[in-house]
Amino acid sequence: MATTARVGILQRPLAPTGVWSWITTVDHKRIGILYGVTALIMFLIGGLEALAIRAQLATSDANVISAETFNALFTMHGTTMVFMVVMPAGAAFFNFLIPLMIGARDVAFPRLNAFSYWLFLFGTVLMNVSFLAGAAPDSGWFGYAPLTANTFTPSASVDYWVLGLQVLGLGTLIAGFNFVVTILNLRAPGMTLMRMPVFVWMTLIISFLIIFAFPVLTIALTLLMFDRFFGTNFFAMAAGADPLLWQHFFWIFGHPEVYILILPAMGIVSDVLPTFARKPLFGYATVVFAGAAIAFLGFGVWAHHMFTVGLGAWATGAFAVATMTIAVPTGVKIFNWMATLYGGSLRFQTPMLFALGFILMFMLGGLSGVMHASVPVDTQQQDSYFVVAHFHYVLFGGSVFGLMAGIYYWFPKFTGRMLREGIGKVHFWIMLIGFNLTFMPMHVLGVLGMPRRIYTYSADQGWDLLNGIVSAGAFIIAISLLVFLYNVWTSLRNNPRVTTTNPWGASTLEWSIPNPPPVYNFAVVPTVRSLHPLWDEDANPIDPPALPPVDARAIHMPSPSYWPVVLAGAITLLAAGLLIWKQASLPGLVIMMASGVLMLYSLFRFAVEPATEPVHGHGAHGAAAHH
Amino acid sequence: MTSADVKGRVNMARTRGLLRTLFIPALLLAMLVAIASCTVPQNNFAPASDRAQSVMSLYIFLIVAASIVGGGVLFGTLYLIVRYRARPGVQARQIHGNNLLEIGWTLVPIFVLVIIAIPTIIGIAGAARPPRDEALHIRVVGHQWWWEVEYEDIGPNGGALRTANEIFVPVGREIAITLESNDVIHSFWVPKLVGKTDAIPNRVNRLESFTPFEIGTFYGQCAEFCGAAHALMRFRVHVLSQGDFNRWVQALQTPPAPVGGLAEEGRQLFFGAAGCIACHAIAGTIAQGQLGPDLTRFGSRDTLGAGVFENTPENLHQWIYDLRSMKPIPDEPRFMPSFGTLPADDPRHLTNEQVDALVAYLESMRVE
Repeated sequence: MATTARVGILQRPLAPTGVWSWITTVDHKRIGILYGVTALIMFLIGGLEALAIRAQLATSDANVISAETFNALFTMHGTTMVFMVVMPAGAAFFNFLIPLMIGARDVAFPRLNAFSYWLFLFGTVLMNVSFLAGAAPDSGWFGYAPLTANTFTPSASVDYWVLGLQVLGLGTLIAGFNFVVTILNLRAPGMTLMRMPVFVWMTLIISFLIIFAFPVLTIALTLLMFDRFFGTNFFAMAAGADPLLWQHFFWIFGHPEVYILILPAMGIVSDVLPTFARKPLFGYATVVFAGAAIAFLGFGVWAHHMFTVGLGAWATGAFAVATMTIAVPTGVKIFNWMATLYGGSLRFQTPMLFALGFILMFMLGGLSGVMHASVPVDTQQQDSYFVVAHFHYVLFGGSVFGLMAGIYYWFPKFTGRMLREGIGKVHFWIMLIGFNLTFMPMHVLGVLGMPRRIYTYSADQGWDLLNGIVSAGAFIIAISLLVFLYNVWTSLRNNPRVTTTNPWGASTLEWSIPNPPPVYNFAVVPTVRSLHPLWDEDANPIDPPALPPVDARAIHMPSPSYWPVVLAGAITLLAAGLLIWKQASLPGLVIMMASGVLMLYSLFRFAVEPATEPVHGHGAHGAAAHH
Repeated sequence: MTSADVKGRVNMARTRGLLRTLFIPALLLAMLVAIASCTVPQNNFAPASDRAQSVMSLYIFLIVAASIVGGGVLFGTLYLIVRYRARPGVQARQIHGNNLLEIGWTLVPIFVLVIIAIPTIIGIAGAARPPRDEALHIRVVGHQWWWEVEYEDIGPNGGALRTANEIFVPVGREIAITLESNDVIHSFWVPKLVGKTDAIPNRVNRLESFTPFEIGTFYGQCAEFCGAAHALMRFRVHVLSQGDFNRWVQALQTPPAPVGGLAEEGRQLFFGAAGCIACHAIAGTIAQGQLGPDLTRFGSRDTLGAGVFENTPENLHQWIYDLRSMKPIPDEPRFMPSFGTLPADDPRHLTNEQVDALVAYLESMRVE
């Protein structure tokens, strides 16, 4: 009886090492690492796309790449950096850290978590296969109707974009639910909401943002898919459609998306600063509520992406004021971070440098953002390089610097080894200089009237010098990334394992367990009595009293499973079948039907397999699962 | 170590900090010099109309406000970094927060934003004001990748006056432009005259009206990504004296004069075998095609290909012969064929000699 559920190739994979153990893993730490490595690879690809763009724009009338290639590259650069780099990098931190920070052994739905990752990976692959098919998406990451209609983009490029985003968006949405349930239900005893690290708070807020924002994108993409594949008229101009419908859909998703991208970095910085200032975050509650306020207000400002579409004075005025109000909680956060430095004993290790870089660069991006809220001025700035400068200060100076702070800070937690300090500092300074050299002159290019998304410009425009500086800066950023990669490589190879559990002297729960943590995280689930369990001595959950030795085999962790990856593969194959159907209906139909059957079958197996496979030689549990 | 040594070290640290600090302002200053020192045709800060001027004032006001706030945060943070760096024997002060302070720095941004919001709202209201009756009304329609321009009521026989890609307006008169699109979304932007408004299919948008105060030629460019040749969807606005404008209008109302020689050959091709009139119009003739740019008095335009190439016989020849060598236009029937590269048995195929004749005809029609 005990073996009937495990026959042939479908035998449940229980080996703790090897390639299959990674493919079938449901361990939140391993899934976090998978997200992180994928995001890093996509960061390099998106970066190469940016370098090609900058090579073309370095001089006027250049012929480095064709107009068609340029349009595909800027479309994929944006799509990649938003959906395949910054979002999964955030997901990498959520996955690895949230259970550790709240004193849990895994997320609420470990197999669903694996399913999210595989959907993300396969969606990413599906979209990038378009390069090999010679039909890379080229209508912009925002995909404005009616340019995305069959009439104006007859190639399959938009189809790849729609279906790739749909697949990876599904994974994101599922992850959003997973983390809300995890954070609300799996906290260790005593970890009240107001004792959660700020990063956990920001993850909770982001998860709600995902749950409310992503369905809007899903709907918009579905309508576009119907238009492109089945001839409906949602965005068909000849049938009298209003193209602004797409813009409202896209930005009702797209503006909360901005906060989905920046709040992880804000959470990271709010946890890094106290550690390196040796004092608690100034106004913890204020920082938390400011994050929630930003997220809430973020749903009411989407039309500031549409100030030039002719909404009328009342609507633009209302959205201008709403947009300005977001600057209030954002400003409060910056002041609270500054106040955290006040009276501190500041140590300038690499995570701290990136955190400080985050504050200042993000602040500059915030200030140019407020300028966009002033509609008359925005009519000059909209779709100019000033906007490109603004959102790179927020997304690179903000999100990427914040994520870098997190990588340097938690690297010993992820791998058991520190990153090299010296190389890290070199990395920071080169990146800071390259970043400002790249994006600061873009403000001026905007003032000089250079529009976005142009593959060429003529010499009499007077934009050559600044574009040259920008392109040089982009290559300096590339060098800083090489320094970072070298640091990761040499640190993993040559650095000794960290011997203490808490190398930075931090205050939060994840630093009370070994580096990297054992598969079950906490031998004994801790009881939390404070916001800073490792700083407030009488609240320290680990020591004293001494713990009795724990038999790791007695801790039952969820078992690995094939079904998340098979189910995600079947869904992706379904999307690929639809793509093929448009070119050749019969093969496409066969693939869709086959993958549909596989999807239903794996969904069924996913549902009925026990979360934890009964272990051999563990009689009582085995019998219980098979009665 | 004497106290002077300590002071020296602190000063050195401060100097180093200061150098890092100065990096961004120095870069900014260099860029401001770049703005001031060159005559950039799409410079937002060289306004030539009342509207662009008032937007620039608000723009500069915002830059100053942002610099004050940003400078404060930047130098404040750098001060805190230097002042509270770890020193032996100095413990961090365990401060958890301060409600009064936090309420204070919630109110400060509100105060700053109110100051910014007031001129913003005034500006929005100003832009929404309908144009006066005596304004010059122009209808602009975006196409992939050129601009159709139509003046109501001042054309031949009281009808519309049409042109493309180069807009002529008199100085000192209010200009009221409505924007439409024939295909995808475009955006009309002449940075020295007026900020952008989108040209959207199935909608009629009104560009905020503006009054140019300077005679000259001003560059404009499509600002909303509109497909392959988006970067080459430019245009020009010529601000003329009232007299010059009147002469231009009169010329466009007059049918083209008879021509001879090569130009006459070209005229016959244009109205005959080459089939140009299926898409192009010339006022006062039977050519009334609406799919492509109006070519009335084409010879007097500065540019061809939507504000991109200088209007020379060589460029025009290349354009008719193989426009795809000049602009990334997809090979689809809704766009103009590359006539010279069509197969020889294609009835639309044109030889170099035929193209020369067409060039001679088109360049012959000028505003004298």
